[in-house]
Amino acid sequence: MWRRIWAVTQKEFIQLIRYRLLLVSLMIGPLLELILFGTAIHTDVQHIPMVVVDQSLSAASRSYLAAFTDSGSFDVVASVADQAGVIHAIDSGEANIGLVIPPDFATRLEEKDANVLLLVDGSNSFVTQSAASSAAAISQQYAIGLTRQPISSLNVHSQVLYNPGLQDLWFIVPGFGAFLLYGLALKLTAFSIVREREVGTIEALLVTPIRPIELMLGKTIPNLCVGIINAATVLPIGILLFGVPFRGNLLLFMALAILFAFAGLGLGMAISAVSQTQIQANQVASLMNIAAMFLSGFMFPAYALPAILRVLGYVLPLTLFMPIINGLFIKGVGLADLWTPVLALTVLTVAIFFIGARSFRQQLD
Amino acid sequence: MRLNFQRLQALIRKETIQILRDRRFIALILSMTLVQMFVYSYAASQTVYHLPLAVVDQSRDANSRGLIQALINSQYFDWTQQLPSQAEALRAIDRGEVKAAVIIPPNFASDLSRGTANLQFLLDGSDNFAVRSGYNAAVLVAQNYGLQLTAEKVARTSGGALPITASTHILYNPDLTSAWFVLPGIIGMILQTLAVEQAALFVVRDRELGTVEQILATPVRQLELILSKLIPLSVLCLLVFGISIAISIFWFGVPFQGDLLLYVWLALLFIASCLGLGLFISTRARTQLEAEATALIFMLLGIVLSGLFYPRTGMPLVPQLIGDLAPLTYFIRISRGIYTKGVGLNFVGGDAVALAVYLLIVVLITARRFKMRLD
Repeated sequence: MWRRIWAVTQKEFIQLIRYRLLLVSLMIGPLLELILFGTAIHTDVQHIPMVVVDQSLSAASRSYLAAFTDSGSFDVVASVADQAGVIHAIDSGEANIGLVIPPDFATRLEEKDANVLLLVDGSNSFVTQSAASSAAAISQQYAIGLTRQPISSLNVHSQVLYNPGLQDLWFIVPGFGAFLLYGLALKLTAFSIVREREVGTIEALLVTPIRPIELMLGKTIPNLCVGIINAATVLPIGILLFGVPFRGNLLLFMALAILFAFAGLGLGMAISAVSQTQIQANQVASLMNIAAMFLSGFMFPAYALPAILRVLGYVLPLTLFMPIINGLFIKGVGLADLWTPVLALTVLTVAIFFIGARSFRQQLD
Repeated sequence: MRLNFQRLQALIRKETIQILRDRRFIALILSMTLVQMFVYSYAASQTVYHLPLAVVDQSRDANSRGLIQALINSQYFDWTQQLPSQAEALRAIDRGEVKAAVIIPPNFASDLSRGTANLQFLLDGSDNFAVRSGYNAAVLVAQNYGLQLTAEKVARTSGGALPITASTHILYNPDLTSAWFVLPGIIGMILQTLAVEQAALFVVRDRELGTVEQILATPVRQLELILSKLIPLSVLCLLVFGISIAISIFWFGVPFQGDLLLYVWLALLFIASCLGLGLFISTRARTQLEAEATALIFMLLGIVLSGLFYPRTGMPLVPQLIGDLAPLTYFIRISRGIYTKGVGLNFVGGDAVALAVYLLIVVLITARRFKMRLD
């Protein structure tokens, strides 16, 4: 029996290695993505490009403008003649915010009744909100400063528990590692089974004395290995290069990650049963992976989802794996505090794997 | 190489029949479009409102109540618990009952009247996506509250409003609805995923299954064969494009501001660039799995680097340049420009030219390497 399983495993490995582009995509792709995640994503917005119209051209207006540039939130990229020029600059995407200071600014300021206009680009969510609120605050602060009244300031001391810098990477790196393990197991398994059927080589396999369970093991073990190798390169790089802390038990994490990968293998087999072609299998697998990425709270706040989608998220293994990642990587707690998600994940994985294995058997008959 | 339109027509008919016969494929493409529209647009609203908040008010006066009211009014927090001490608040976060806590010290009001008061926020960092908005909102609400108190004091002492009034006008999306931000980009994302993946898979499939050999034994030319695959695919992409726009306008209520015809033309250019990219991938890939794994990298580049979900402002140069390798990066600016801003070709022309150049380069590279035959 073991010899037969080994033979299929070997065949699968050779097939994987023969296709160099596949191997490169599988190995380099995730690393590249991790590095891009680490360097490219900044959700705080500073230096928002600003365009100004100073029709007042007075000492007062220059000093008011300086309050904006000194704040560091805005960079003045252009100075235009009128409001139409501002809208043109925002239309073209050259600037995200415009400040219009009217000609009577200085004279009306002496009467304590000056008006200015802020035009904000509403087509870009990151920029819009922070631009609008910080511009309004800068203006108000400047105006209060002119009255020579002391500003009542509130100093907010924020203490973020567990993740003091509020670093996205602390979640993304372990989540990404786990997602690779699961997503690759799922996709490779679905593809490799459907491929045999589509190309017709499954007939050749079935006339050999191999039994379904052996074929299943032989086909899934290499996929599991690829996933493990991938996770094992991404996680240390995340930990070493980006300073992601690992506070929990490494062995426990590996064991749970492999358990999690079995859910991926099971789903992959189930997908292969419902797909006739690799293109179909790919569509179903992508659907599952997109759902996992967006509903599990891995890359986006699951907290903001409508209730139905959040409930739907709980049938996805990644959603159940996220609290385990949080616990082991960020909070540094042990199995004692994590037994609920671990139990839930185990039950879900066993169920999925059972369904997958059954549908795999039925395909062969 | 001259095209024979009769042969091309026959081939297109064959490919169309092949696509239409595969009902499951059509159903999957359509459900993929729907799922992506809904999941992306709901999940991608990065702002989280109504975080459960524990309040530790040790000051208990008009000012502290005013501040708490301001926090609740901001919609970012829901007052769920009133607790006596910081230690209790910490325990509530540990237990997961609240995501944030505000601690107002006993001398809050007197400090505030002297100028500077302190207050403390505790946030559950193990749910960082959830608390990020809370973290920013807390600072903003407190800052505004301080400014508001000062403005009231100014009004009392000097009998008037502040000397400068700044009126803010938000263009294109006055209510800051998040669907308005994300949907024009998501339409591009869906198209890119579909076009790149399917173009690569369609070509590689025929090679992998060996069916291409039979066709190549006929007088059909390679260019005719490629076009016969890409033309039905473009129609499929246009169909998905139409469905996406319809959902976005009628279900999500995002008004279309610009010139629809121009939008469709530029979308066609974008679809052509994506199909070209898919074709380029097919020159490198020998199996469908290989093609799919490579296409996936472009999809992830699209998600992370195109400006779809994360801002390109402030992104370092190298990731920005890598992002330029995905056609989506150009189309997102076009889509937001025409769909949301309602601007014309004079504003999105640069990106349209960039897409055309992209298409040209991809076609030139692919033409040199392309082989339908298995060698």
